[in-house]
Amino acid sequence: MKDAILGMSGTDWALLGAGLAAVLGGIGSAIGITTASSTASGILSEDGSKFGKLLPLAAMPGTQGIYGFITAVLVVIFFNILGGKVDLPAAIGFKVFLACLPVAFLALVSAIYQGMTGAAAAGIVAADQPAPALIFPALVETYAVLALIVTILMLLGLQSAAQAL
Amino acid sequence: MRPPLLKAVKDSIRYGYAVGRVRALEARVLRDAAYERLVDAPTFAEQLRILSDTAYGQYLEGAQTADDVERGLERALESVYGLVAELGLPESMTRFFRVRHDFANLRARLKADVLGASVERDLSPLGTVPIEVVTGAVRELPEPLRRVAAEALDALAALDADAERRGTEVSTLAKLETVDRVVERAEYAELASLARASKSDFLGEYVALSVDLANVKRVIRAKRRGAALAEVEPSLLDGGRVPRTRLAAAYALPLEELAERLASEHALRGVQAEDLLALDRLDVATDALAVRMMRAGRAVPLGAEPVVAYVLAREAEVRQLRVLLIGKLAGLGTEELRARLRKVYVGRG
Repeated sequence: MKDAILGMSGTDWALLGAGLAAVLGGIGSAIGITTASSTASGILSEDGSKFGKLLPLAAMPGTQGIYGFITAVLVVIFFNILGGKVDLPAAIGFKVFLACLPVAFLALVSAIYQGMTGAAAAGIVAADQPAPALIFPALVETYAVLALIVTILMLLGLQSAAQAL
Repeated sequence: MRPPLLKAVKDSIRYGYAVGRVRALEARVLRDAAYERLVDAPTFAEQLRILSDTAYGQYLEGAQTADDVERGLERALESVYGLVAELGLPESMTRFFRVRHDFANLRARLKADVLGASVERDLSPLGTVPIEVVTGAVRELPEPLRRVAAEALDALAALDADAERRGTEVSTLAKLETVDRVVERAEYAELASLARASKSDFLGEYVALSVDLANVKRVIRAKRRGAALAEVEPSLLDGGRVPRTRLAAAYALPLEELAERLASEHALRGVQAEDLLALDRLDVATDALAVRMMRAGRAVPLGAEPVVAYVLAREAEVRQLRVLLIGKLAGLGTEELRARLRKVYVGRG
């Protein structure tokens, strides 16, 4: 009998999880960067001297895309898919898929909100206020980092389980 | 209905650039202190010196007469509308700001026709329709101005026909009021329609507040001069948060109670009954509500609100400067000018 869940093999599930993390993280980052960059561009078109302070605000939502990418790479490495192993048990593969979800969804949502927070914080820079504008979008980052940590811990556990088989 | 996150994403991308530019420009909006200095300035020349370091310096340089001030402030406002055109806002929103000048021009032209006077010099070049078109043949006017002008002319003809039947004559004042009523009603209907087309709730709320303020001023002034309800009711505008029926019902009350009733309306919260009763404070008090709305719009991080609030604030700034500069030229004293000082977009209280 074929080892599958909902018609998908373990490797299929693992790749789906890895792909989702990379894709959703990338989408979130693209939207977040677009949002923050639009506002930053508006400010820069009036005052080019603020580029240095606005760049980090616009770039910060890009980290979620990196977290998604790291997750995808870890799945590929931890479960030796890079080495050509394509027979991961379905139960393990499905769990790998589940382990990827925290990063996939948190990266998508937090990058979008971080872009909005960055756009709002750009107003602080525009108004020449001494308050550190970077702090507020950085607070949003916290939850994407926590999701990445959770995903990595789960993947490490599943890697041990897979090696024990 | 779109999920809130999707709407927020769409709005932030659509208005992000515009909000950024406005955030940078907000730093140049005149603050309370600048207005105080303008009020306290001993001469008009000193006022110009104070403004020379602001965005208005280039437009008012060398101004000597009230006409120079008008033209200078017109150019300053033109630059604001020019900015709006560059921001990539929805067409209906860009049009919203200029179309009010079209209606003001049409009203001036129709009134001039009634009075048999010349009007070109008093028309604003800030509208969407060139002045020569506004002053030309009614059939050549673009919509909706042609429809409104025809409606006003029909209303004037009906007034004349009615008077002829009665064997009386229509007063010039009645004719001018008819023009005002027809044009104003059409203007607010057009503004509400543009606000809906722009899909900006904030713009819609601004139109509703403007209607409420116009109705409140009309009701208070009519009550003060002892006009009958039948005379006032047709001139009340639709589209406000305070329904016309409620205004009409309150009109039966004595003036003081009417002011109390209006001040207790949720849409007008913040305005005091005594301000509505004081002739010299009525405009300032009602303008303060509009400023409060602009400040609320400014506090929105992303969306149409900060952009709309900025443009409205610059318009209010021009109105305020007109009062202070032309008031000084006309010889008004410091206290008289201070009494006409409105709350400002960026400031305390």
